[in-house]
Amino acid sequence: MKLRQFGERRLLQVSSALVILGLLIEIVSLLWIHPLAFVLFAFVGASLTGLGILVYLASLVFGVIPPAENRM
Amino acid sequence: MTGLLLGQIILSIMLASVFLFRPSVTTETGWRIVAFIGLGVLPALCIVGGMNTHVQRSEQTSFCISCHVMVPFGRSLYIDDAKHIPAQHFQNHRVPADMACISCHADYNLYGPLFDKLRGLKRVYFQYVSTPPDPASIRIPGGFKNAQCLHCHLGARDFEGNPVHSAMMDSLKSNQMSCLTGGCHDTAHDIPNLSHVKFWSPVQ
Repeated sequence: MKLRQFGERRLLQVSSALVILGLLIEIVSLLWIHPLAFVLFAFVGASLTGLGILVYLASLVFGVIPPAENRM
Repeated sequence: MTGLLLGQIILSIMLASVFLFRPSVTTETGWRIVAFIGLGVLPALCIVGGMNTHVQRSEQTSFCISCHVMVPFGRSLYIDDAKHIPAQHFQNHRVPADMACISCHADYNLYGPLFDKLRGLKRVYFQYVSTPPDPASIRIPGGFKNAQCLHCHLGARDFEGNPVHSAMMDSLKSNQMSCLTGGCHDTAHDIPNLSHVKFWSPVQ
C-alpha cells in the first residue's frame, strides 16, 4: 500500500510539473506575436499540458486501492 | 479575453504548484477535488482557451502579413486602383480590414477552418525548414473558388441585379465560370507589378 501511495504521489508530481511547464509555455506563446507562437502552443505547450492531464488521470487509476487490499 | 485566459492559467499553475511540492495533501477528500480541478479541469480549459485565442489571432490581417513572403500581398491591399479586387475590397471595407485575408481566403465548408490551419502549418514549414517560395509564384492550390466570392455576394442586390451576373448565375454557382480567371475580375494582388503601381495612403 505504501508503494502504491508513493507511486500515486510521484505521478501527481510528474503531472503537476508537466502541467506547469505546458502552461508556462502557453503564456509565452500568448504574449509572443509571431507565426511560430501557434506552433509553440500547439506542439509544445498544449502537448505537455495534455500529457500532464493524462498522467494525472493515470494517478487516479493507479491510486485506487483494490478492495482486497483495503480490507487488510 | 486573453487577460481572462492568463488569469485562468496562473490560477491553474498555482494549484498545480501545491501538488508538485505537497502531493501528500491529496489524502484528504477536499484536496482530491481541488486536484481534479487544478490538474484536470482547469488545464483542459486552458488548452481550449489557448487554441481559441491562437485561432482568432491567426485570422487577423496583421498575423498573415507577419510572414516575410506575405508582405507584398499585404502591400497590394493599398494599391490605388479600383480594378485590383483585393485592394478595392480592403480599402472600401467590403471585408473587415483587420480580417481582410481570411474573408476571401477562408474555406467556408464545415472542416474549412481546420484545413486552413493545416495549410498554414505547411507554409510555416516552408518558411523555417524548407525553402520559402517566391511571393510572385504563390498560387492557390486548385485555383480561387467562386464560393469564396459568393459567400458574401450571393443574394446581394447589386450583385444579382447586374444582368451579366444573373445571365451566368448557374455557371458561377457551379464554378464552371471563374469570377477571377473568367476574364471579368482578373486583377488580384498582381505581385510582379507591385513596383509600378500607385499606392493609397489612408488618413491616420
